[in-house]
Amino acid sequence: MKERYKKYIVEIPEEMSIPYAGIVESPKVNGEQPMMLTGGWRIYRPVVDHDKCVMCKSCVLACPDATVLLVDGGQKIGFNLDYCKGCGLCTWVCPVNAIDRVPEIDFEDGVPFQDALFLLPHVEALYAD
Amino acid sequence: MAEQYKDKKEEILKETVKMTGYEDAGFDWKSEKRVGATKFLTGLGAVAHALKMADIDVASSYPIRPYTGAMMMLSQMAARGELDVEFVHGEGEHGQLGIAHGASAAGARAFTGSSGVGVMYAMEVYSPISGGRCPVQMLIGNRTLDPPGDFGSEHTDALSTRDQCWIMGWAHTPQEAFDNTLMYYRIGEDPRVYLPQMNCQDGYFITHIPMKVVVPTQEKVDKFLPPLSFPDALDPLNPLGHGPQLFPGQGHVLEATRVNAMMGAFPVIDEVVQSFNSIFETNYSPFVDLYRCEDAEYVLFISGGHAYTAKFAINHMREKGMKIGLVRPRFIRPWATDVLADILSKFKAIGVVETNNAFGAARQAGILTLEVATTLYQIPNKPVLTAFMGGLGGEVIRLDEFYYMGDVLAKAAKEGKTERTAYWIGFHNI
Repeated sequence: MKERYKKYIVEIPEEMSIPYAGIVESPKVNGEQPMMLTGGWRIYRPVVDHDKCVMCKSCVLACPDATVLLVDGGQKIGFNLDYCKGCGLCTWVCPVNAIDRVPEIDFEDGVPFQDALFLLPHVEALYAD
Repeated sequence: MAEQYKDKKEEILKETVKMTGYEDAGFDWKSEKRVGATKFLTGLGAVAHALKMADIDVASSYPIRPYTGAMMMLSQMAARGELDVEFVHGEGEHGQLGIAHGASAAGARAFTGSSGVGVMYAMEVYSPISGGRCPVQMLIGNRTLDPPGDFGSEHTDALSTRDQCWIMGWAHTPQEAFDNTLMYYRIGEDPRVYLPQMNCQDGYFITHIPMKVVVPTQEKVDKFLPPLSFPDALDPLNPLGHGPQLFPGQGHVLEATRVNAMMGAFPVIDEVVQSFNSIFETNYSPFVDLYRCEDAEYVLFISGGHAYTAKFAINHMREKGMKIGLVRPRFIRPWATDVLADILSKFKAIGVVETNNAFGAARQAGILTLEVATTLYQIPNKPVLTAFMGGLGGEVIRLDEFYYMGDVLAKAAKEGKTERTAYWIGFHNI
């Protein structure tokens, strides 16, 4: 039986092999997968208010890219800003409104909007005063 | 032959009543040896019972008849506390399949189901589920697509999704629906396969007509179906990127691995069906159900619930001396090309009974004709091939219509040709 159906199987050479079903580990350390940095897409940066945070970890589960990290030995919430796209889901799910969305242009090391230059006037108008 | 039965309506009616299972029909259903409680179940009831015994973890639902029966029974089981299941109601079929996808990716044994237009509305999600190699099981109670959207069975809804890398097959009795549910989970959850499965049954004819079902003991089911172990399940402490995170240029490799999973399912199906037969004392053949084919010259090729009626019709035609048989594929995906080519090469004429429509396709018949014609391509002396368009719009295929098919095939086998690539039942003379 097995022999008979062998002709339908595609032999994949070792050098072409890929992870099972394309499943890869989410990046845990910054710069782990340099070809897939998505932090440059971000317009708003998530900033957590540690006084308000109750460590419910809803944001850890909600983040589609696993960029919400547990830092300080699991005592605090932190963000992997190399991969955070700034989608805002963490802000949305936070039950105590501890995560704020701050425009990237307010930061000295803010990402330079390379992919979203057309949005700059809009963002600046929003935060004019 | 159809003429002879014109004034025998009473007898045909009697036969039809017998067919529903109210009297013991078991001439082909060798269940004498089967041990277990005999219940009187519809196809949906049988599947719900099987799901309970398979101990599913997550069920997602959205109502559309005829599938709704299974959803109702599962929710009742959950409400009564008989089944420990996370029962999630979707906002539509698209969301429903998404829920099943997520549940399965998290390592749960997931179940979902739909019918007709609902199957089509979820179309986008089929490929991500099979691409993510999530062994979700989906029950499809076939329903005619709009128009006319009839409650009765037409296979076009499920067959339209045939190329999305889901294992797919039809049950032709509630008992087979019960058994398929267990078998499909075992096939789909095999580490060599890990693919989702479509457990199809004809709307109304199987989903809503009760028949005898032998429900085995829980110990036997546990022996047959081990708990699911899914690699790379979602885990917040060990985050993974599901949904291919690949470099450009790896896409074709990903497709090749999915092909290998589907075609690698052949030996697995063989093993699983043999294992099922030995544990539950049944006699399923893995890929093809043959009925009175030993000395047959021409056969009906038919998938799904109408095969049950066809078996009675074939008995009657055999009494008249016609050398007719029946070939019923148990799996549409993966399509058992070599097994079917061996079997079909023995006959002079083949009539594919289509309960689906493929508008504008080669030979202008249905989808099964395309598959059968391709299968026959590798045979040197090809049998005559024609199709019968019946059961469209959810209509019943009556016994006299099967006699008509028998007459067409007898003529085709004798003359070595047919006039038409597809005979529409009730439209053409022989």
